[in-house]
Amino acid sequence: MQKAEVIRTRSHSSCIVRQAPPGIWMNDHMSPTKLGFGILWPACWTGLPFKLALAVLFLAFGIVDFETRIALAFMMLLASPVSVFALPTITMGLGSHIGDGAGIGLLFMLAIPIDIWALGLAGRTFLLERCRREPPARLGLILWWKCAFVGAIFLPILWVTERATTDVAISIAHSLFEDGFLEGTPIAERISIELTLWGTVATVVLSCLFVIGLSLVGRMLRGTIQAAPHTSENYEGLITRWDLMRVPADPGLMLTVLSGVAVVLSLLFWSTLPVLTPHPHECCRKAETKAPPEFKALETLNKDEKMISQLAARVEFLIEQQAAAELEKAKSKKKGRADHEAVIEPDATEPVPAAVMAP
Amino acid sequence: MQPQLKSKVRCADREVGEVAKVIMDPLSFEVSAFVVSMNGAGERQVPMGVVQTVTDNLVQLRSSSSEVMALPPFKREDYVTLHEVEIPGLEKHVHVTPGEVLVPFPELERNVKRRTFFANLTYVTGLFIGLPMVFPVLKYLMKPMYAPMDNRWLKIGNVAKVKANDVGVQFQYKRSIKEAYMPETEIEKNAWVVKATPAVLEKVYQGKDMEFRDTLGKPIWTNKKDIPYLAFSGKCPHLGCAFKWRNHKILGPVFLCPCHLSIYDASGKVLDGPAPRPLDLMPIQVSASGEVQIIDMEFKAGTKSQTRIV
Amino acid sequence: MHDTPSTGPQPTVVEKVFAFVDERVGLKQLTGKMLNESVPGGSRWAYVFGSILLFIFGMQTVTGVLLMFYYVPTADHAYASTQYIIHEVDYGWFLLSYHFWGSSAMVVCVFAHMSQVFLWGAYKKPRELIWVVGLALFALVMGFGFTGYLLPWDQRAFWATTVGVEIMDKIPVIGDFLARFLKGGPIPGQMTLSRFFVIHVMVLPAALIGLAGLHLFLFRCAGPAGPFRGTPVELKAKTDYFFPRQIWKDIVGMAVVFACISALAFWEPVVLLDEATPDPGDYHPEPEWYFLFIFQHLRLRMFSGEFGQFLASMLLPGLLGVMLLLLPFFDRNPERNIFKRPLALIGWVVLTVSILLFTVSAIINREFLD
Repeated sequence: MQKAEVIRTRSHSSCIVRQAPPGIWMNDHMSPTKLGFGILWPACWTGLPFKLALAVLFLAFGIVDFETRIALAFMMLLASPVSVFALPTITMGLGSHIGDGAGIGLLFMLAIPIDIWALGLAGRTFLLERCRREPPARLGLILWWKCAFVGAIFLPILWVTERATTDVAISIAHSLFEDGFLEGTPIAERISIELTLWGTVATVVLSCLFVIGLSLVGRMLRGTIQAAPHTSENYEGLITRWDLMRVPADPGLMLTVLSGVAVVLSLLFWSTLPVLTPHPHECCRKAETKAPPEFKALETLNKDEKMISQLAARVEFLIEQQAAAELEKAKSKKKGRADHEAVIEPDATEPVPAAVMAP
Repeated sequence: MQPQLKSKVRCADREVGEVAKVIMDPLSFEVSAFVVSMNGAGERQVPMGVVQTVTDNLVQLRSSSSEVMALPPFKREDYVTLHEVEIPGLEKHVHVTPGEVLVPFPELERNVKRRTFFANLTYVTGLFIGLPMVFPVLKYLMKPMYAPMDNRWLKIGNVAKVKANDVGVQFQYKRSIKEAYMPETEIEKNAWVVKATPAVLEKVYQGKDMEFRDTLGKPIWTNKKDIPYLAFSGKCPHLGCAFKWRNHKILGPVFLCPCHLSIYDASGKVLDGPAPRPLDLMPIQVSASGEVQIIDMEFKAGTKSQTRIV
Repeated sequence: MHDTPSTGPQPTVVEKVFAFVDERVGLKQLTGKMLNESVPGGSRWAYVFGSILLFIFGMQTVTGVLLMFYYVPTADHAYASTQYIIHEVDYGWFLLSYHFWGSSAMVVCVFAHMSQVFLWGAYKKPRELIWVVGLALFALVMGFGFTGYLLPWDQRAFWATTVGVEIMDKIPVIGDFLARFLKGGPIPGQMTLSRFFVIHVMVLPAALIGLAGLHLFLFRCAGPAGPFRGTPVELKAKTDYFFPRQIWKDIVGMAVVFACISALAFWEPVVLLDEATPDPGDYHPEPEWYFLFIFQHLRLRMFSGEFGQFLASMLLPGLLGVMLLLLPFFDRNPERNIFKRPLALIGWVVLTVSILLFTVSAIINREFLD
C-alpha cells in the first residue's frame, strides 16, 4: 500500500517527502508563507503567557503605561520575535509609540530569551512533524535572530505603508461625503459607509503586507530548514518525540522552580499593587492629611515658663508705672497748693528688665 | 467461579445444552440460578444447588437429564436485565463473561512520566492564578475589622451637676458615628462621673497616673492621679449592660448592674457579682469653668484584661 | 491525580486513601470515565474556549460575592457603597475592575467559542442539542451583562438601562408587560434595582450553572468532534486523553485570560460618573459595548419610526437568533471542513465584520452627538 516517492529537490522547496504514507496531509514543497506561519504562529502564542505575566507585573509596579494603545501593545508583544528590533525604529524614527514608561524596553528585552525558547520548541515540533527532519542544535537562537532581522527591516516598512494607505483612504472617503456625490447622507449612515470604505482598503493592504511579511520570514528560515537532515522514523514515532520533548529531563526540579517563581511573583505583586485606586473619582479624592505636629512636653513647659516670667515682670513694671503716675498726679495737686516746694522725683524704681522690652 | 455464559451444561448422564442466562440474587450478590437452553427443547431454570463443578466452558450438574427436563420452563417475564434496574454494587460481582473487551491505549499516554508531569504542571499553573489573589482578597475582607479609633474629645456636661463626693452621677451625651458609606448618625451614650475623695482616688490610681495609648502605642492622654474627677464608661465590663447608682441594703451606695448583679463601689472596684475587672475609666478633662470633656471609649466585655475596641 | 497503579512495594498515603474511597464509590472507574476521555487528533489549543468560559464564570462569581460584602442594592446607597469599594476598601478598585473587565472578556470568549464551534462544524449531528443549550447560555451571558450594568446606579448605568428597557417596551403584545416587569413599575427606580440585583446574583447564576451542567453532560454523551481534517493514521498517532494534556492547555488558557483581565483592570480601572438623577443632563445614554452594534442600527434612517425601531432592536436580532437555533436542523450536510463550506465561511465573515463595523461606527458617532 505504500508508495515510495522520490521527489527531486527543487531550489525553492523546503521539504522532501521520501516515504509518504497515503493520505497524510503533508507537503511536497511548502510555500514560504506556510513555512513562516507554521513556525511563527505557535512560537508567538507559546511565549505569550510568560510575556503577559511580566506585563501584568510591570503594570502593578507602575513602570509601564499603555494608555490608548493597549491593543497595539498587545499585538507587538505577541509578535515580539519579529517586533523586538523594529520597535525602536518605529518609536523613534516614525514618532509612534505603544505606551510610556521605562518598563516597555525592559519587557521586550526580557521577551528575547522567552522567544528564543519558544521558537526552539515550535521549530523543533515543526521540523519533526511537518518536515520529518532532525532539528539541529541551537535551533531557537538561529530562528530568533533570523526572525528579528526580517522584522527589524520589514515591520517599519509595513507600518509606514499601512499608515500612508489608511490616511489616503480616509481622506478620499471623507471627501466623498464633503463635496463628492455622497454629500447629504445622514450622519449614522455616513459613518458606517466611510468606515466600510477605508476599512476595507486598510484591511486588504494590511493582509497583503502580512502575507508578504510571513513569506519573507519563511524565505529567511528556509535555509535552516533545508539544512536539517532527514529522519526515517515513522509518523507515530515523530509525534511521540515532539510530544515528549515537552517533558523536561527533571520534572521535579522544573516544577519546584516554577512554584518558587509563582511565589516570588505573587510576593512582588502584593507589595506593589496599589491599595487604593490609581484613578480616584472627583468626589472622593483623598485630602492631604498632615500629621499633627508632635507634642514636645518639656519644650512647651520651658517656653511657657519663660513666657510666664516675662509676663509677670511686665505686670510688675506696669503696676509700678501706674503707682508712679498716681504719685505724680498727687504731687502735681500738691504743687498746685504749695508753690515752691521742690518735688523730689521719685526713684525710677528698678531698672526695666531688657526682657520685657521684647514681647 | 460463576457459570460463564455460553458454556456447555452437562448432566450426570449427558450434555443437555448451554448456559443462556445467569440469574443473580440482588441481596447476596451471588448467582442463584442459571438458564439452560436445551438445544431446541426450550429453556429450563436450574438452581445453583444442583451444580457439581463449574469450569471455564463447562457446568457439571449432579442431577440427571430427565430431572432437568422435568423442571418448569423458564419464565422470562419474571425477570429484568441489569440495564432496566438500579441495584447498587451488583455490577462489581458479575463475572459471567469470559475474556475482556479492549480498546487501544494511545501511544502518547503510555509515558507515566509525561502524564505525571503535566498533571503537576496543571497544579502549578493553577498556583499562578490563585496565589496572587489571596492577599488582596484577605485585605479586602478585613477592611472594617480593625478600623482606626476615634479619639475626639466630647463635651458631656458640667461638674455643677455633681453635688456630692464619692457619688455616681450619670452624664448623657451623643456620639456621632460614620459607618463606611452610611450617612453620619448620632448614638446616645452615657458615662458616670464621680467626684472622688483622696482615699477613693488612691484606690483607683494606686499612686500612678493612668496613661491611654492608641493602637500603635503612642500616648493619647494621661489621667493625672490628683485630678478628683473620674469618668467611668457606662457599659458594665461583664457583658456590656448599662448599670446604675443605687443604695444597697448592706453595701451602701454602689454601682449596680441589673443584668447579672455586678456591684462596684465608687472607685469602680468589684464588690460582688460576675464582673471580671473593675469599671473602665475614660480620659477626662475638666475646664476652669467646669466643662467636662471625655474621649469616648468602649472595652471588650467579659475579659479580665482591658482591651479597647472603640 | 495518580490513578496509575503503584509499582513500588509500599502504597503511599494518597494511594491508600484512593483505594479506600474506590472500594465504596468506584472512584477508579469514575475518574477513568471522566478524565480518560480520548480526544481524537490530540488535545488542541482551539478547544480551550469552553473551559475558559467556565473559568471566567468562576472568577466572576468569586469577585461578585466579594463585592456583595460591601455593595447594597438600595437606590440611596448603591452609588455610595460602590464608591466606597473603589475608594476606601483595600484593593476594592482592583476587584471591581476585574469584575467589570471579566464581563467583557466573557462576551468576547463566548463569541470566540461559538465561532470555533461553528467553523469546526461541531453543531451538526449528533451535537444539535449541545448547540441549542449553548445558545441559551449565550442569552444568559447577555442577560448578566445587561442586569449587572445597572447596579452601580450612576448616570451611565441608569440611563443605559432605561433606554434598554424602553426598547423592550416596543415588542408588540407583551412589550409593555415585560418592560413593567423589569422596571418594577412604570418608571425605573428602587424596584428596578432590586429586581435587577436578584436576577443578576441569584436567578441567572442558578440558570447558568444548571444549563452549563447540561451542556457539559450532552458534550460528554456525544464526545468531542475533533479536527475536521486528518487521516485516520494522523488522528490515531496524535490521540491523547483529556487529562492531563487538554486540561493543562485549558489551564494555561485560563492563566492567559486571567493575566489579560488583570492588565485591563490596571490600565482602565472602573470610574463612576455622577450619581443617577431623573434628568440625564449632558449625558448621552449608551449601552454596554457589546450591545453597541444594535444601538447604532437604531440611528439609521431606515429604522426610524416605531416599527423601524422594533425591527432593528428586537425583530432582526431575534430572527438571527432563531436562524442560529435552527442551524443544525437545516444544515444536514455532514461535511465539517470549513474550507469546503463556503456559505458557512462567508456567512460567518459577513456577520463578524458587520458587528465589528457597527460597533466601531457607534464609537465614532459619539463625537457627533453634541
